[in-house]
Amino acid sequence: MPPVIDKTKCTGCRTCAAICPLDVFGRQSAGIRVPEIRYPDECWHCNACVLDCPAQAIRLRFPVPTMLLYTDAPAISDG
Amino acid sequence: MITRKTPLACDVLVAGGGIAGLMAAIAAAEEGASVILAEKANTRRSGSGATGNDHILCYIPEVHGEDPAEWLAEAEASQIGGYNDMDMFRFYVTQIFDRVKQWDSWGIPMRPHGDWEFNGHAKPDHMRIWLKYAGQNQKPILTREALRRGVTILNRTPFHEIVTNRRGEAIGGVCVDLNGEAPAMQVISARSVVLATGHTSRLYTPKTPAWMFNTANCPACSGAGRAAAYRAGARMVNMDLPMHHAGPKYFTRCGKATWIGVYSGLDGKPIGPFVTKPTKELGDLTGDIWMGMFAQKYKAGEPVFMNCRGIAEEDLDYMRWGLSNEGNTGLLDHMEEEGIDLHRHMVEFHQYEPILIGRGIDANVRCETTVPGLYAASEELGNFRADMGGAAVFGYESGRQAALSARTRTEEDAAAAGTVEQCAGLYSAILDREAGPGAPDWREINTAVQQIMTEYCALEVRSERLLSVGLQYIQRIQQKAEQMACTDCHTFMRCLEARDLAQVAELVIRCARERRETRGKHNRVDYTFTNPMNNDKFVTIRQEDGRPVTGWRSKNK
Ligand code: SF4
Ligand code: SF4
Repeated sequence: MPPVIDKTKCTGCRTCAAICPLDVFGRQSAGIRVPEIRYPDECWHCNACVLDCPAQAIRLRFPVPTMLLYTDAPAISDG
Repeated sequence: MITRKTPLACDVLVAGGGIAGLMAAIAAAEEGASVILAEKANTRRSGSGATGNDHILCYIPEVHGEDPAEWLAEAEASQIGGYNDMDMFRFYVTQIFDRVKQWDSWGIPMRPHGDWEFNGHAKPDHMRIWLKYAGQNQKPILTREALRRGVTILNRTPFHEIVTNRRGEAIGGVCVDLNGEAPAMQVISARSVVLATGHTSRLYTPKTPAWMFNTANCPACSGAGRAAAYRAGARMVNMDLPMHHAGPKYFTRCGKATWIGVYSGLDGKPIGPFVTKPTKELGDLTGDIWMGMFAQKYKAGEPVFMNCRGIAEEDLDYMRWGLSNEGNTGLLDHMEEEGIDLHRHMVEFHQYEPILIGRGIDANVRCETTVPGLYAASEELGNFRADMGGAAVFGYESGRQAALSARTRTEEDAAAAGTVEQCAGLYSAILDREAGPGAPDWREINTAVQQIMTEYCALEVRSERLLSVGLQYIQRIQQKAEQMACTDCHTFMRCLEARDLAQVAELVIRCARERRETRGKHNRVDYTFTNPMNNDKFVTIRQEDGRPVTGWRSKNK
């Protein structure tokens, strides 16, 4: 469930790559501002990168197979 | 060839920087020990508490009464109960409120709405035992407290192997530093070692097979502590008894008790006996204690939903607040994107794949394993489980005990031990091996382990024939794992994880063979009887002279 970085907002601080518990960003090449995302399919959708990005530049893209399944809720009845 | 870093030394080495590892490091440092904590990722946001929790199992005399008997009975009958040593539980009761007050004083809001507030996971007219709190920033706060006490935190440095001396005592560990271009071996001599690498995920095929990291608990927790403890000779316990969570389908997350709704069928009728409308005080306990509900209903052609219809607006806000503290801000974002409105929609829930929690290393109430100098904390334990509270209490206690015993032990040079050369050989082989026809990558090994565990050591069907042939298959995968190749630091780390998972899988299968009866979700179709002679008896496994030996021990009552 890869993070998607808004390149216009990202300041290149690398917080996201530093704190990701799954190392989704992987090793970062020198001299690149916006972090690379090398292992997008190892994302745990914990949202740490989204919460900690000081520029609020990250959103997660949730892969279709992980979507919540929902339907209309009838009123709960005892009967 | 693996690069070697200059060896380090300390009094207490802590493996893993989740909640338990940080609490162990804090307690050891408070006892005056020099502490190094080796963490796979970054302690600010790692492990199952990475982005928070919103409830913790807590006993407060002024709330629950001076006699904890009723509280204990409620806890032992809950989803975390059943296979706990009760001396551990009684100790827990004496400690948890102190840990909660400690966290509160450090800035983790433990009574964010003013008073101690117990809600969720509860039966009507019964004692409520889960304290609600606002834990979204618990990891950065505990990291700060560890650093304040002088703990050295090595981030991106996963722990891999325990070093023992000739007498079989733990004298340090081997970690891998992943901060550079290539992995480097980091040996750390220590007077005592605390294992705090968490539960074990990624052992069974997840509900989204193509998305292996879509797991309820942190998927970085892959059995490093259990595998290393076994290799070092420590006794493991309760590995045979399957345990699984349940929650939203297919967006896999912990935190079902944070939802305020009623498990209902498609017709909106409640499935369980506890609640008929959403209540924040109770939640709906049905999903916790009727562990087979989701599978049984599915087999009867019935999907199961979390139905929040009729929830009061303020209770919905309370639930959103809880989910955001339970590490589920991603889930909330997803619901918003999908246009899911819990006033009108209900979300399907299902049973998740098994994980190891409360199944693992055998330790006493001082967190001592059967290997001198080796301690196990919280989710590593096989004989106690209280999730977040377990991490607080037995994290802290493991660090304290490790520091106390470190005072009586002399430092030995871990770098001189044969284990270190074996590790260097293993690491170099993975690094130097060319990718090729005979060299699988980590994902093949991990997936293969999951397939075998899911079919041959399953929740639904276990038998001597399936288990014995499954053991052969796992051993063949272990041989193939010895030929893995990697491409960089990241895949090197995953190779070590896959190897540990294959090791832990073998232990689970061997223990499942030993228990020739049906008990809970350990469903032996060749031994369908639940033998009362085995009540309160745990299966154990340990390595002796290089061979696995299974056995039994009594539960401490
Ligand atoms: S944390 Fe945000 S601003 Fe910093 S590098 Fe990552 S995306 Fe860019
Ligand atoms: S959501 Fe979590 S696992 Fe995914 S990239 Fe962000 S920090 Fe990493």
